[in-house]
Amino acid sequence: MTATAAKMKGQAERFRLPGIAGIGFAGLLFVVLLLVNVYLNPERFLPHSWGTLIGLAAPLISAALASTPAILSGRGGLDVSIGPLMGFVNAIVVTIIIAKWGLAGPVAVWVAAIVIGAAFGAFNGFLAAIVRIQPIVATLGTYLVLAGLTTTIVPSPTGTIPSWFSGLSGAWSFIPLLVIGLLWFALTRTPYYTALMATGSEDRAAFTSGLNVTLIRFLAYLVGGVFAGIAGLSLTALIGSADPNIGETYTLLAISSVALGGVSLAGGRGGFIGATIGALDIFLLQSALIYFNVSTFILQTAYGAILVLAVASTAMQKSSGGRDL
Amino acid sequence: MGSMIAILRRQPILGAVLIAVLLYFFGLASIDGFGSTFTLRSMLILAALLGIASVGQTLVIILGGIDLSIPFIVGFANVVAAQLYGNGMNFALVCLIVAVLALAIGAFNGALSARLGLHPLIVTLGVGTFVQGAVLLWTAGFPSGSAPQYISNFVSIGGSIGPLPFPGVVPAFLVMTLAVAFFLARTPFGRRLYALGSNPPAARYALIDPVWMWAATFALSALFAAIAGVLLLGFTGSAYADVGKPYLFQTIAAVVVGGTALVGGRGSYLGTFVGAIVLTEINTLLIGLGFQPSAVQAALGAVIILLVSLYGREAHLREQI
Amino acid sequence: MRETDCCLEAERIVLKAGRAPLTVRFRPGEIVGLAGLDGHGQEVFLEVLAGWRRPLAGEVRHSGRAGGAPRPIRNFRDAMRRGVAYLPRDRRRTGIFPALSILDNFAIASLNRDTRIGFISPRIRRERYSRFKDLLSIVADDPRRTITTLSGGNQQKVLLARLLVREPDVLLLNDPTRGVDVATRQLLYGVFKDLALKGMTIVILSSEIEEAIFLSNRVLVFRDSTLSAELSGVELDNDRVISAMFGRAA
Repeated sequence: MTATAAKMKGQAERFRLPGIAGIGFAGLLFVVLLLVNVYLNPERFLPHSWGTLIGLAAPLISAALASTPAILSGRGGLDVSIGPLMGFVNAIVVTIIIAKWGLAGPVAVWVAAIVIGAAFGAFNGFLAAIVRIQPIVATLGTYLVLAGLTTTIVPSPTGTIPSWFSGLSGAWSFIPLLVIGLLWFALTRTPYYTALMATGSEDRAAFTSGLNVTLIRFLAYLVGGVFAGIAGLSLTALIGSADPNIGETYTLLAISSVALGGVSLAGGRGGFIGATIGALDIFLLQSALIYFNVSTFILQTAYGAILVLAVASTAMQKSSGGRDL
Repeated sequence: MGSMIAILRRQPILGAVLIAVLLYFFGLASIDGFGSTFTLRSMLILAALLGIASVGQTLVIILGGIDLSIPFIVGFANVVAAQLYGNGMNFALVCLIVAVLALAIGAFNGALSARLGLHPLIVTLGVGTFVQGAVLLWTAGFPSGSAPQYISNFVSIGGSIGPLPFPGVVPAFLVMTLAVAFFLARTPFGRRLYALGSNPPAARYALIDPVWMWAATFALSALFAAIAGVLLLGFTGSAYADVGKPYLFQTIAAVVVGGTALVGGRGSYLGTFVGAIVLTEINTLLIGLGFQPSAVQAALGAVIILLVSLYGREAHLREQI
Repeated sequence: MRETDCCLEAERIVLKAGRAPLTVRFRPGEIVGLAGLDGHGQEVFLEVLAGWRRPLAGEVRHSGRAGGAPRPIRNFRDAMRRGVAYLPRDRRRTGIFPALSILDNFAIASLNRDTRIGFISPRIRRERYSRFKDLLSIVADDPRRTITTLSGGNQQKVLLARLLVREPDVLLLNDPTRGVDVATRQLLYGVFKDLALKGMTIVILSSEIEEAIFLSNRVLVFRDSTLSAELSGVELDNDRVISAMFGRAA
């Protein structure tokens, strides 16, 4: 038993490193796409545009980061409700917190977003970890509930946001990302992170060495929910209104980003840096293709091709490095 | 109540059947015209279309995978069939071309996932996105064409075969269900599918080739998605690349509500058959009760969670050591 | 030893870089034990014989039931097809299919023998099963129940039946009595000896020296990924095997 625990600890320490090997292809793609983008449109990448640029990328990056903890927790861990949760936060904040209750200040808005995110994250965690419904099914249920509620509250795009809020997609666009980043960084300094990675890579061993696997998994969904709440703020700042149709689209993009960034969908492998680079890849790809003014169809075709290529080449890198028997 | 749940957990199909029956009587009691031939017929057609699209998802989940390319293949077949037929091609040839392409795409999904050990969720998502993008590019986003009349009659709400008050797709669905169940129970392929899903490392010692099995199973999945796509063309009358979109999650929901666990090696198509009926009933019921489509969606999500927490729970880790 | 007697031969097999190659011939009707401290190459050797693993050098050759010149075994599938059957060590991980019935577990490696025009006939399958149920005294009330309802020993019998139904002429066993009760052990020993009497070649890796000595006509002792000793007849005793395992001259 001590041997397993030691082995797990060793693995967890290995995973703590960002792991350049794991994000090789995605990292390379990032550099190439960045160069292409800068070459095409240098104006957008000058320091004075950084705020706007980050504001454009922030919803996808934070959606990817929100998807990561559940995936890391292993055994099919996955939260497909991240996108609709962002959309729900967007709808509630704009139409209820700001418009109906008149609470337009930053404190009320941030608290509302985080509370909503945490509540639904906890709900998903309850279903997946405690009731033990397969995560994809449980969060699919939540997905449908949230998407349905959002459309009921906001049948069509509506509402406005105060100017400080719009600033979160401009000069202050780094704030939500920074908050998520700091929260995650703080988590990696706690034993919880080691426990999460151990659970994700080998849950039976984690369980037999005395970890509370149920609680660890529950918290992973809770953390993801909080991040999704903050992602909802970035999204709201960017679109400047309540829109029932945008949130949902982030689910599959976020999962793609995470996979692209070398986070193993089997759990226990990968991290935040990988997920961020994966999201940046998709964002830069998007913006390069939009610059060419190509149809969204080409964009979609390119997404698909690059996603498959990226995961395949990452896997081949790993297998050429020797498969352990 | 407790013992009932215990029975349901051991016999999830029974649970799904029970719920289907209860829903039916609830509908009869609460909605005028729920028992009418028209409602029944439209429910059966919708369940049949969902059921056909879910065949592949069932097989893939028994294998221990998941197929997110189904909605994209449905849309792909829908648009390509309409486009080619609209260009004057013989419809049998159209179907052959669509089937071969679908099989190839599916085989690629499965072979790539198994060969490189990639999570099929990402592979099928990527390949599906690519396929749909390619189709949209080809048609410039405005697909044209339609299905021949006999396909429309086969799935039409107003259709009938002889004296029977429903179109051909309903009996065809029943026959197909029995055929798929028989195929799973009585062919070497069916048994290997369960074995590989149940214990992949042991399967190789039992001469089961995982790459071949994954390629074949995902190919079958794509084929059934394509069939659903062509039938939907007859049902809606015109081509639409996003027609399969609801099937992304509905096929998974039908499989799971039918009692098939996502862990691989367990489950049955009979369960999915009932699952498709239950989902269609819930949908019809909620619309009949006057819910808006968005509220129907929300309620459907809640019902899926409720049903699966009744009989689709996984064992605790301590029982798996 | 005449060339034609041999049905399986390991020719200049190298298991690990820099180790001496080993050449072993296995005759029909012979039971050969493999012994050694854990990880000293005996298991790798067994997997090489089964075609599951490629040796660094050398080849395994096999001549079929009909005789003829021995031909090299290309891979695991080729070995199984030609009648070299392998029973892996870890019953739970690489043996049973826990979600499947006893019948399925029994028939999974020989499904095509059950089929009529492509479909499995339950009748043929039951007949095949009942032969082995009697031969191996499998204790199971209803073969349609899942295999996990059986005791470890009975699960092992089903796995053995899975191989025997393919009518192999070489049976490679990786610690077949591990985690099996005493009664079942005695039964399995009897079965192995019977099969050998009928001309089957049996290679058995055992983690218990007494078992290897009791069953085998000769025992190959491995040390440091090569052959340390080959003992048979009067030489075959506990002390000599242990000495060879530890690399001491007996």
